[in-house]
Amino acid sequence: MTAAPEALCRHCLLPLGRRGFARTVNGESCQFCCYGCCIAHQVKSGSGDASEAAWLLVRLGVGGFLSMNIMLFSLLVYSGAFTGADRGVLPTIQLLLWGLATPAVLILGEPFLRETWSQARGGRLSSSALIVLGSLAAYIYSTLAVFRLGGHLYFDTATMVLMLFTLGRYLEAAGRARASRDLAPLLAAESESATVLEGAEEHRRPVREVRAGMLIRVKPGERIPVDGLIVEGCSHTDDSVISGESRQIAKTVGGCVLAGSINLDGPLLIRSSGSGDESRWAQICRSVRDALRQSSRTQRIADRLVGAFVPVVLVLAGLTLAFWAQRLPLDQAMLAALSVLVVACPCAVGLAAPMAHSLGIGQLARHGCLVRSPGALEALAVTRLIAFDKTGTLTLGRPQLIDLASDGAGEDEVLSRLAGLERHSEHGLARAIAIAAGARGLDPIATEDVQIVPGRGLRGMVHGELVAAGSAALMSELGWQLPPALLERADVMAASGHSVVFIGWSEKGCAGRARAALSFDDAPLPEARATIEALRALGIRVTLLTGDHAGAAARVAATVGVDEWQAGLLPEAKRVALDQCRPRHGAVAMVGDGLNDGPGLASADVGIAVGSATDLARETADLVLPADGLWLLPWVVGRARAVRSTILANLAWAFGYNSLALTCAVLGLLQPILAAAVMAGSSLLVVLNSLRLERLPGPVYPSALQVSAAARPETERSRQRREIPHTWGDSSPRPET
Amino acid sequence: MTYYALLFVAGFAGSFHCIGMCGGFACALGGDPRGPSATAVRHVLYNIGRLTTYCFLGGLAGGLGWAIYTCLGTRSQLGVSVLSESLNAAQRGLAVIAGLLMIIMALQFFGLRWRHQVTTGFGGSTLVVALRSLLSRRGHATPLAFGVLNGFLPCPLVYAMVAQAASTVDVLSGCLTMVAFGLGTFPTMLAMGGLGRLLAPRWRQRGVRLAGGFILALGLVTLGRGIVPVTAGHGLHHIWHFA
Repeated sequence: MTAAPEALCRHCLLPLGRRGFARTVNGESCQFCCYGCCIAHQVKSGSGDASEAAWLLVRLGVGGFLSMNIMLFSLLVYSGAFTGADRGVLPTIQLLLWGLATPAVLILGEPFLRETWSQARGGRLSSSALIVLGSLAAYIYSTLAVFRLGGHLYFDTATMVLMLFTLGRYLEAAGRARASRDLAPLLAAESESATVLEGAEEHRRPVREVRAGMLIRVKPGERIPVDGLIVEGCSHTDDSVISGESRQIAKTVGGCVLAGSINLDGPLLIRSSGSGDESRWAQICRSVRDALRQSSRTQRIADRLVGAFVPVVLVLAGLTLAFWAQRLPLDQAMLAALSVLVVACPCAVGLAAPMAHSLGIGQLARHGCLVRSPGALEALAVTRLIAFDKTGTLTLGRPQLIDLASDGAGEDEVLSRLAGLERHSEHGLARAIAIAAGARGLDPIATEDVQIVPGRGLRGMVHGELVAAGSAALMSELGWQLPPALLERADVMAASGHSVVFIGWSEKGCAGRARAALSFDDAPLPEARATIEALRALGIRVTLLTGDHAGAAARVAATVGVDEWQAGLLPEAKRVALDQCRPRHGAVAMVGDGLNDGPGLASADVGIAVGSATDLARETADLVLPADGLWLLPWVVGRARAVRSTILANLAWAFGYNSLALTCAVLGLLQPILAAAVMAGSSLLVVLNSLRLERLPGPVYPSALQVSAAARPETERSRQRREIPHTWGDSSPRPET
Repeated sequence: MTYYALLFVAGFAGSFHCIGMCGGFACALGGDPRGPSATAVRHVLYNIGRLTTYCFLGGLAGGLGWAIYTCLGTRSQLGVSVLSESLNAAQRGLAVIAGLLMIIMALQFFGLRWRHQVTTGFGGSTLVVALRSLLSRRGHATPLAFGVLNGFLPCPLVYAMVAQAASTVDVLSGCLTMVAFGLGTFPTMLAMGGLGRLLAPRWRQRGVRLAGGFILALGLVTLGRGIVPVTAGHGLHHIWHFA
C-alpha cells in the first residue's frame, strides 16, 4: 500500500489496509481504514453545525427510522395481520413500503456504493461490493414486484442488510478506537505541543520545533514533552512509558526529566536538553508507528484470502441462484443467493489480526517494551528456547566485591588501604572497591608513589611502608609470604569463577605479607533467577551463551538456575550455536544487552535487547526491553502468547463461522436479514474477543514473589539503582547518537 | 383495551424516570428559532423517532416470542405430548422469563442495583457520544434521527416493556404494547421540551417509585400468568385477555 507517513487510520490508528479511503473532515483531509472509523471519527471530533459527523448520524438515524418502519410493516405482513377482511389495504401497504425503502436504500447504501466504486476503479472487488449487489438486487426485485409482477416484497431485507452492516461497522470502529487507546500516548510525541517560555510570554509550539536550551513549562497532569533539567518547581513524575515501571519518582530543581513521563503533581519549568524529536520518547513513537505499519505473516495470509474470497463468493452466489431457480420460485432462489452474498462478507477475517496486534504492541509499549514488528510478537509466542548473553544481561555488567578473606588485618583497614591504592587505577575493579569502601563510609588512605605493575597489580607507599595489591604472582615477586589459609580461600574463590585480588603491606620495616584476599564478580541481576524460573514455568528452555571463561559462566549459570551453558564463544560462534539449537527447538530467541552481541540478536528468530543504549533507530533487536527490564521478559512472552492465541481464535472463529454460515446460506437455510445480523455479530465478537487482551494483568516485579533470601539485599540495591537511572547512562535523558 | 390503557399509564408514570436522562436531551434539543410551532414540530418529530424505535423493538420482541412459541409448538407436535398443552408451556415459559425480567427492572427503580454494567455498557456509551454530537444541528431530519437513536439508549423501563411485548407472542400486540407505553411517555417528554426542568427532584423521585410500582405489578401479573397452574391460569388468562 502507500508508504506515506500518514498510512495509519486517523481514527483507530491501525494500518489503512485494503479498505482504506480518504475523506475531508472539518476541512482536514483524513485517511480512514473503513467506513465505520470514518463515522466514529466524525462523531468524536465533530463540533458545530457544519460538521459532517452530525450529518452522517442524521443519515444513520433517518435510515434507521425508515428501515425500522419497513421492518415493522413487513413483520406485520408476514405475521398475517393483513389477511382476511384487511386484505384490501395490502397494495397500499406495499406502496408505502416502496416509498419508505427508496430513500432508505439511497441514504444507507450510498457509502457502500461509493466504496465499491472507488475500489472497482482500482481494479479490486471489495466486500462492500457484495453488500451493494445483494441489497440492490433485493430492492430492484421488490420494486418490480410492487409495480409489475406481484408477489413477495423484500424491502425489509434490502434496508435491514444495509442498516446492520452500517451499524456493525460503526461498532467495530468504536471497538478499534478503544483498542488503540493504549497507543495514543505513544503516538502523541510527534503531534504533541510544548508551552515554550520566551521572555515573559508563553507560546504553544510543536515539540519538533523545540531546541536545546529552551524553557518549557509543564503543568501538573501534563506529559513532559522534552528531555531536560528542572529549573523551577518540584513534583513527582511517572516514567512508565520510558522505564516500564509505573512508580512515582520525586523530582526537584536540578533533576532530570524524561520526555514522555507524566508530571503528576507540581508545575515545572524545564530547560530542554535536546531537540524535541531526538528524545527517547520520540524514538519510541517512531518505532511503534513503524511496527504498526508492518503486517505479520498471519495477517498477510488472511488479507490474501479475503482478496481471493470476494470473486469466489460472487460465483458461488451465482451458482446458488441458478441451482435454486430450477427448483423454487425465483424470489426464493434470489433470497438464497442474497444470503450467500451477505453472509460471506469477510469483515471479521480482516479484523482478526490487526486489532490484537495493536493491543499487544500498545500494552507492551506502555511498559517500555518496544516491539519492532507484529511478526516478532508472533514469533516470540512460539519460541521454545531463549538464549541469554551473560555480561550485562543476566549480570549487572559491573564487578562487585563479593568476598573478603583477611588474615591478621581488619576488613575496614584492608578496604581503606585498597581504596587508597586503587584510586590511582583505571581498572574495572577499582570502581568496585571504591563503591565497597564508600558503602562502609571508609575514607581511602592517602597513598603516594603508586606504580602499576603491568599484568600483576599496583604498588604504592603509605607513610613510608610498601603496600601492594594484585595477583598471587605479585606477592611472590615481592617476596611476601602468602599464608596457607588465605591461599586456600583464594583457591576456592577462583574455582567458583571469581577474580581474586590479594593485598599486602609491610609494617614497621619488616618484610610485608599478604593480609587479605578479595574476590570480585559481576554479580547476577537480583531478578535473574526469578525471571528464569518464570520463563521455565512457561515451558521455555533457557541457555547461556557467553564469551566469558567457563568458570564464570558455570557460576552464573548455577546462581540464576540455568542448566545449559556454553562459554568462550565469540560473537560469530554465538550465531552458530543458535543455528545448532534451531533444528531441535524451532524458533529461538536471544537476549542480549544490544551492544556487543549484535550478530547473535540479528540471527535469532527474535532478538531481544535489554536496556539498549544505542539509538533505537539503529537497533537490530526485534524487541527492546527498557533498561533494567529483564524481569519483564516472562510477562512479555505471556503477552505475546495471548496475542497469538487471540488472533488464532479470531481467525478460527471468523473462518469457521463464515464457512458454516455460507454452507447454510447455499443450502437456502438462512434468511438474508439473519445472515446480516450474524455477520455484524461476528465482527463484533472478534472485536470483543480482542478487547479481552486489555484485561490481562500487568507485569509484577518479581521481588514480591522471590523467596530467595540471598538475593534480597541486592534487590534493595537494585531498587536504589532504579531510582536514579540517569547516573548510569543506560537511560540518560539524551541518548548518545 | 384496558391492557393498553394500563401500559399507557405505566408509560406515563415511567416518564418521570425519563426526565432524568432523556428529558435532558429533550431540553437540549431546545426550541426552534422560527417560533413555537416550529419548536412543536421539532419535538413531535423527536418523539415520533423515539416511538418508532420502541415500536420496532416491540414488534421484534413480539415476533421473537412468536417464533419461539411456534417453534416449540411444532417440535412437540413431533413428540408425544398434547399440542395445546405444550403450546401453553412455551407461552408460559416466556411469561415467566418476561415477568422475572420486569421484576428485576422494577427493583432497580427502588434503588436496587443489579449490575451497573447492564445499563451502561460499551454500546450505551458509544450511543451517548453519538447523540451528543447531534444536538447542535438544525433541520427536521435531525430531531427525527435523534429520537430514533435515543430510543436505543439502554433503559430499564424499555427493557421491561420489551420483555412484556415478547410475552404477548404476537408482532402486532408486541408493537401495540410498545406504542401504548411510548405514547404514555409523550406528555411528559413533550412538556419537557417546552417547560424544561420544572419538576422538583422530590416529585421526580416519587414518580420513579410510582413507575417502579407499576412495572413490578405488571411483572408479577405476567409471572403469575406463567406459573399459576393451568386451570387457574386459564381463568387468569381470560381475565388478562379480557383486560
